[in-house]
Amino acid sequence: MSTKFTRRQALRLAAGSGLAATALAAPRIARAQSSYPEQPINVVVPFDTGGYNDRLARAFTPFLQERLGQPLVVVNRGGAGALLGHTYFLQQPDDGYTILCTSAAPYMPLNILLQGAQFKISDFQMINLPSRDYTLMATEAGSELKSVDDVIAKLKADPSSLSIGVQPASADLVNLMLWADANGISRDGLRIVTYDGGGPARNAAAGGVVDIGLVGGEGFLPLAEKIRPLLIFDSEKRDNWDAPNSGERGVSKSVSGSQRGWAVHASMKESHPDRYEILVKAIEETSKDPKVVESLTKQQLATEWYGPEASQESLRQTAEVMEQHVDLLKGA
Amino acid sequence: MLEFDAIHSAFGLLTSSWEAWIWVLPGLLVGLFFGAMPGISITMAMAIFLPLTLYMDFLPAIIFLTSIYTGAGFGGSVPAILMNIPGTSSAVATTFDGYPMARQGRHNEALGVALAASVIGTLSSYVLLAFLIAPVSAVVLKMGPLEMFVVAIWGMLLLGSLAGSSIPRGLLAGVFGVLLGTIGMNTAGFIRGTMGVPWLLDGVPTIPAMMGLLAASQLLNLVNVNYLIEDESSRTLSFGRIVSGVRLALRYPTIIARGSIVGVLVGAVPGVGSSISNLISYSEAKRNADDGDTFGQGNPKGVIAAESANSSSEGGAMATMLALGIPGGGATAILLAAFAMHNIVGGPSFIGQNKDIVYAIIFSNFAQAVLLLVVGLGFVFLASSIVRVPLRFLIPSVLVVSVFGSYALTGSASGPITLFLFAVIGWVMLRYDYPVAATVVGLLLGRLLETNLLRSWQISGGDVGYVLERPGAAAILALMLLSIGLTALSRYRRRRRMAAVTPEVAS
Repeated sequence: MSTKFTRRQALRLAAGSGLAATALAAPRIARAQSSYPEQPINVVVPFDTGGYNDRLARAFTPFLQERLGQPLVVVNRGGAGALLGHTYFLQQPDDGYTILCTSAAPYMPLNILLQGAQFKISDFQMINLPSRDYTLMATEAGSELKSVDDVIAKLKADPSSLSIGVQPASADLVNLMLWADANGISRDGLRIVTYDGGGPARNAAAGGVVDIGLVGGEGFLPLAEKIRPLLIFDSEKRDNWDAPNSGERGVSKSVSGSQRGWAVHASMKESHPDRYEILVKAIEETSKDPKVVESLTKQQLATEWYGPEASQESLRQTAEVMEQHVDLLKGA
Repeated sequence: MLEFDAIHSAFGLLTSSWEAWIWVLPGLLVGLFFGAMPGISITMAMAIFLPLTLYMDFLPAIIFLTSIYTGAGFGGSVPAILMNIPGTSSAVATTFDGYPMARQGRHNEALGVALAASVIGTLSSYVLLAFLIAPVSAVVLKMGPLEMFVVAIWGMLLLGSLAGSSIPRGLLAGVFGVLLGTIGMNTAGFIRGTMGVPWLLDGVPTIPAMMGLLAASQLLNLVNVNYLIEDESSRTLSFGRIVSGVRLALRYPTIIARGSIVGVLVGAVPGVGSSISNLISYSEAKRNADDGDTFGQGNPKGVIAAESANSSSEGGAMATMLALGIPGGGATAILLAAFAMHNIVGGPSFIGQNKDIVYAIIFSNFAQAVLLLVVGLGFVFLASSIVRVPLRFLIPSVLVVSVFGSYALTGSASGPITLFLFAVIGWVMLRYDYPVAATVVGLLLGRLLETNLLRSWQISGGDVGYVLERPGAAAILALMLLSIGLTALSRYRRRRRMAAVTPEVAS
């Protein structure tokens, strides 16, 4: 007998030790099998690659899958303002193997109010909506409009004196109109220029193509040097913008912008309550993990933990305000 | 302008480690292969390989992704020439003359010409980028809807050249395309022409529709033909003739230069890019050529114009992305995502703080362009072997690949359904002698035209005097009119010369 192994023997040995390892690990696997998850989980993003939700999903899932012990696969289902993706998601089984990462507000209410979607907000259960965007009114860095008071003075004298870049059917448009009402500016004469995405509207404001732009503020951060912020539509200061917020300026009513994050089927709470608990706990722990917070903050992605109840309630409130102003949303 | 300190440290970055170079070749090959597959867009190829770059350093990651970008930019022209399928919308104009050349048995030359024009286009766009990145970035944000509208009109001039035998039919086909392009939700939030189908809310899926119109309708017409090239002796794979195609492209430096400038400028504008630049470049080349009448029948100049413009758009799009952090299209959006994955935030401050990295990216792209010539020659040689495949095998295979591709693009049955419907429309149009290409151009430009006309109207409040407030738009308009005027003048002169010559010949 030689001590040398042939190739075949080596293989057999490797297979054997593999088996042994499997046998040793068996109790753990057996435990895992009784519990969720035992197969890869699909994360539906109802937008194309490259947007905020896609970036959030791709940045967060590597950490979340460490906790869940199963790979997470990001599936982009873009189109029709997330209507196609939301509908697709609801058609999947509510077994917790398909979860959603979306801009719940404004897209879910818009799908329902304007696009005749067949679902209700209550068909979804939010788990956490860490990103809560706000409307920022901004102008080109070199603009002659130095503050929001200049804007008010000009628009009061002649509502059509400034062109205003905004997305149609958006929280920004509702905020603009509420702000105009509060400042005694006529809604009808406003010269509104519609853009079909936040990016193009921000570029137009930063390039002085439109006089002022009202767009989600977080997206303005990379362009911070090219713009002058004029007014933050929120009750508190956001992102260190050097501008007053609408709370200080006596406009208490404002709609929060996009609310983005994680959701599952509402029916999952009844059909698989144990899985629901596991998933919520994993997302909570991941969101609070300092390593995750550091990594996502660097990419300008939010990690705040609000939890299922607060997230669902905040979405419901936004949907309610949007429903009140549905006429505004119906076409600019 | 160039900054030599930064250039020096850029060379330092590129020469200090082999890692910056090892990814260029795989990137180009991935790009060529995916770009040549109908229905797999440049964006998709880059998105598939994006997660891989997590495990690389920042510079190698960006170099790998831009290599895919460069490779895929040319890859799309291979099916455009050999099968009349524009793999991406940026290769539409390549089909106009590339495919006729292939059918005449000049496939080797056509591929060589396309390769050379692409390589030189990429190269010159990055040279321009190195010098122009600052001024271009200053101008891009100033581009308003009126400027974009004028650019779109410039693209529409192409309809005149595509009309073929009957101008009214050409215009009708173009208008049909524009109307198709306006289906869906417009920029003001109104929904038109969707017939209640939610998949149409974003408009007709452009690439499946294009594949249907151009490719499937052509293939159905080939049913009674045995081979793509009927003359058996022309059905050759010749490396020598590919190389002579490369040399042929070098004989038209003006067309390449014009294409590159159009490509960089149009490519730099977010949301326009290479799908428009190839059309403008083609129509300019056709109008300014002595033999403009033979465009569309296999004139290599048409291929040169289209390919130099679509590949140089890469440099323009990169300028906007690097200088402003604004993605002009899907490919640059993926690059920005790669920036974010390495915790680097793109935006106006990026270029100020990282000049060395920017120059390193530019220099690496010079090397990519040169390497593309080598890799591309081999790739094209292998790809051209499909002219030897009997059509009774080729047509079904191409149709199957197109159906898969259209499914991959839309992620639902809406892609294949669109492909099928437009294949029928394309076949009917061909049968009754309407130019299919005019509809494709209308479809590509319709949304751009409508959106920007509407926005110009919104900004100006309906005041026509707004044109005078936008010197940029006025300048583009003047340039366009000048170009048309010069063409008319040179035609007139040529006709007079002909008229003067003809009687002598007759006598």
